Amino acid sequence: MSFLQQSLLWGLFAASIPVIIHLLNRRRHRTVKWAAMEFLLKATRESRGKKKLKYLLILACRTLAIAALIFAIARPLVGGFLGWGGAKIDTVILVLDRSASMEQQAKGSRVSKRVSALASVRKSLEGLNNPRLILIDSATGVAQDVPSPDVLEELSSTAATDTHASIPSLISSAIDYVLDKSPGRTEIWVASDMQVSDWAPQQGRWEAINTGLKDLPQKTTLRVLSLASPPENNMAIRVLASRRKANELVLDLELVRSESEGAAAIPITYSVNGTRTADKVTINGQSYRFQKRLPLGKLDGNGHGFVSIPSDTNVRDNVSFFAYGEDSPTQTYIVSEGGETTDWLALASAPPGLDRSKSVRMTPGSAHEIDWQSASLVVWQAPLPEGPVAQELTRFIESGGAALIFPPRGESDVAYLGINWGDQSISPRGQYFIIDEWDEADGPLRNGLEGTRIPVPKLKSIKRRAIEGDATLLASWDDDQRFLVRRVIGDGTAVFISTLPDYTWSNLADADVLLPVVQRMIAKGDTRFGSAFAAIAGSKKAQTTEGEIRSRLDTHAKSNSSNAPYEAGVWKLGDRLLATNRPKSEDQWQILTSNNLNSLFEGTSFKLFEDKGQSDSLAREIWRAFLIAMLVFLITEAILCLQPKVKKSKS
Amino acid sequence: MKYDFLDPKALARLGAIPVEARQAMTGNVAGRHRSPHRGSSVEFAEYRKYVQGDDTRRLDWKAYARSDRYYIKEFEADTNLRAYFVLDASGSMGFSAEDDARIQFARKLAATLSYLIVDQGDAAGLSVCQEKIHLEIPPTRRAAHLNHIFEVLSKTEPSGETGLVEALHTIAEKVGQRALVIIMSDLFCDTNALGDALQHLRYRKHDIAVFHMLDKQEIEFDFERPHRFVDMEDKTAVVAEPVLIADDYRQAMRDFMQAVRIKCHDVHADYHLITTDQDYEEIVHNFLTTRLPKKGRK
Repeated sequence: MSFLQQSLLWGLFAASIPVIIHLLNRRRHRTVKWAAMEFLLKATRESRGKKKLKYLLILACRTLAIAALIFAIARPLVGGFLGWGGAKIDTVILVLDRSASMEQQAKGSRVSKRVSALASVRKSLEGLNNPRLILIDSATGVAQDVPSPDVLEELSSTAATDTHASIPSLISSAIDYVLDKSPGRTEIWVASDMQVSDWAPQQGRWEAINTGLKDLPQKTTLRVLSLASPPENNMAIRVLASRRKANELVLDLELVRSESEGAAAIPITYSVNGTRTADKVTINGQSYRFQKRLPLGKLDGNGHGFVSIPSDTNVRDNVSFFAYGEDSPTQTYIVSEGGETTDWLALASAPPGLDRSKSVRMTPGSAHEIDWQSASLVVWQAPLPEGPVAQELTRFIESGGAALIFPPRGESDVAYLGINWGDQSISPRGQYFIIDEWDEADGPLRNGLEGTRIPVPKLKSIKRRAIEGDATLLASWDDDQRFLVRRVIGDGTAVFISTLPDYTWSNLADADVLLPVVQRMIAKGDTRFGSAFAAIAGSKKAQTTEGEIRSRLDTHAKSNSSNAPYEAGVWKLGDRLLATNRPKSEDQWQILTSNNLNSLFEGTSFKLFEDKGQSDSLAREIWRAFLIAMLVFLITEAILCLQPKVKKSKS
Repeated sequence: MKYDFLDPKALARLGAIPVEARQAMTGNVAGRHRSPHRGSSVEFAEYRKYVQGDDTRRLDWKAYARSDRYYIKEFEADTNLRAYFVLDASGSMGFSAEDDARIQFARKLAATLSYLIVDQGDAAGLSVCQEKIHLEIPPTRRAAHLNHIFEVLSKTEPSGETGLVEALHTIAEKVGQRALVIIMSDLFCDTNALGDALQHLRYRKHDIAVFHMLDKQEIEFDFERPHRFVDMEDKTAVVAEPVLIADDYRQAMRDFMQAVRIKCHDVHADYHLITTDQDYEEIVHNFLTTRLPKKGRK
């Protein structure tokens, strides 16, 4: 509890007045000559105990009534955020989550969680007699001195962004600030919507943060203002990929909504190079992925646009921007040991009828000749690469390329991306290895857009090679051995498959499984060319480099120049065309629970305040409660002072 | 008037009411009060058979003529009243909250009643008792004797502890003839011992009247602030919070008054609880009227 008029608490000394009067009265007694002394002595003996207790209660009631009055005048503030024991604070470091999800409307309010948090912080700071305020916002991560809480909501560094927030980094920055500047009695206030992706509880750095908090030389309190209300009536749209295919623009889109039941027809607006079209999509579940082809006509060169849905409780996720470049054929490089495997892989990567797909066969020895700039997919069926080729391949993957890696026929102990091939195993005679489980929602074996399953169970294998190393398992054999694993490196993906499209190994070449896997990997790698035009808002790629000037190309909204690097939109950065969007993690509405938070800050004295939206202040004034308490004490005192009716004797 | 405890107007108003004894008295001269002996008054009492030695002059010859038997005709004897005023002069009798001190009130009562008694031809005496002093003026009928009583009353000052119980026992032992014993005291003594003394008086066939004199403040105990109470008899002091002890004090006082009342009732004493804020003339008036014989009796 803290007080708006803390100096008035000196008045608490007045609570001792009844005690002082009592003591003075005891000393200032009058002397009376008394005849009926026998009865007086008897009464004095009998009056100890219950009567004395009653008198002490009366005295306590008087004292507490005065104390309650003083507390009421001092305007006490109470609230889970400021809590009990609030005292004079020299500095408040406000760690503000400015991520896109903070633009969700606060529960029971028309304003966003960010604005609600800022208003609450401003009012609380006024209640604390405006200590020095340091702001560390999630977009810039830079500590800045705020001259007055009144301007807090007007600063560009507290404005809405489409960025991600790394709360552990921000708290670390706050700790570093305290260590560096020694700002006196300090409190670190973290205002966040508690999104799991922002807090990253799985990160090992939390231990270091806890240690840092405990080891601070000054007494520093960490308070977390949680605005963790789950989104209601919210829908988000995202462009997963955008690419030009001849005279068409192909957009892979995803709709996500907070409600999971009931069908809803969502009107979608497509804007391409300033030309708008509209469409409706019906969503049944919680998310829906679909592809939209928009005719580009005879427009050549680069282009851009956005996709939007009607405004709802979070306007920041109702739009997604895209940009595209020239159409280019997809190039697949097949590095193979030869044999029928190479043929099947070449056929799967450039099947007849797909004129835009080309495949180039190479041996492991000539792998250094790969044109990495034009490649969408690299299929590697040979001992794992090493040396300069391995480095080139890694760079290729990091830039958004795809690699599909098959085992070599012979033994090899080379490791790549932390993975190496293990022993070869052969199924018992008359039996096959078959796929038992696979991820139907993610990875190259996922179901089709219409929910069609890939006939994975048709795959039968008699020979395979174990996959060793740390990777995400996407499909496994019936004996729990790994069939397909994935490593995500940078913007790209490497997929390892444990058998070969060779009939001495398996029937993978039957095209039921191989064709969709290869084509999906090509599509994945193809986004590399589209991703050249895409970036996450606030990321390094979205920043201007030396000599570059930023200008906004889309017509969806206008930007504040100082906040532009952190906003979604289509930008011209020097010669670069770039569409920036909020990170995908901002559409994952998982909330960190208070138990999770307790385990994150285990051993530190952090305080959690969950803003339920009833008040725009983190602290409530409770002087009325003290006035009521005073009345209760006075009434109790009056009741205790009432003399019981004495039955008068007939004499 | 010389004595401030005497009011001639009150005496004149009260003089019309006689002071009556509630039982037969044994006086030494003829008077207006019943005697347990047969005498020569005009009031017929009874016939009894003649026995040898009886005065033949008292034979009822008419009865002898009718019945041929000797009967002696007896008449009631009237005698005078002897009243003893027992005045408690212990320190506690000096207590005064607002009105007259208790001793002054007792002086008024004793002086007024003794005047009325002597005025109607009866004898009045005074016994002043303190812890160590026991002053006694034997009852006489002379008017000049009143001055002596008034003089003692005016000079009596309360002090020390009470000697009431011992004084009552002394009177019971010394006064052989039936008398009216009027006690004026706050009775702040051991009630059991007091009861024994009253029983002693009753055993000697004395008519007992008790004026139990208390102050209103002693009964109500309406103090608010803490006080230092000093005992008027032994001077011991106690600092007490009246708000804390008032209830228990009042209860103790009620118990005491009830105990005294019972003790007086047991000896058929004429008990009067009076407070010093009352009008003494009214108290005397009530005392006298309640003692008057009821209709049909003398």
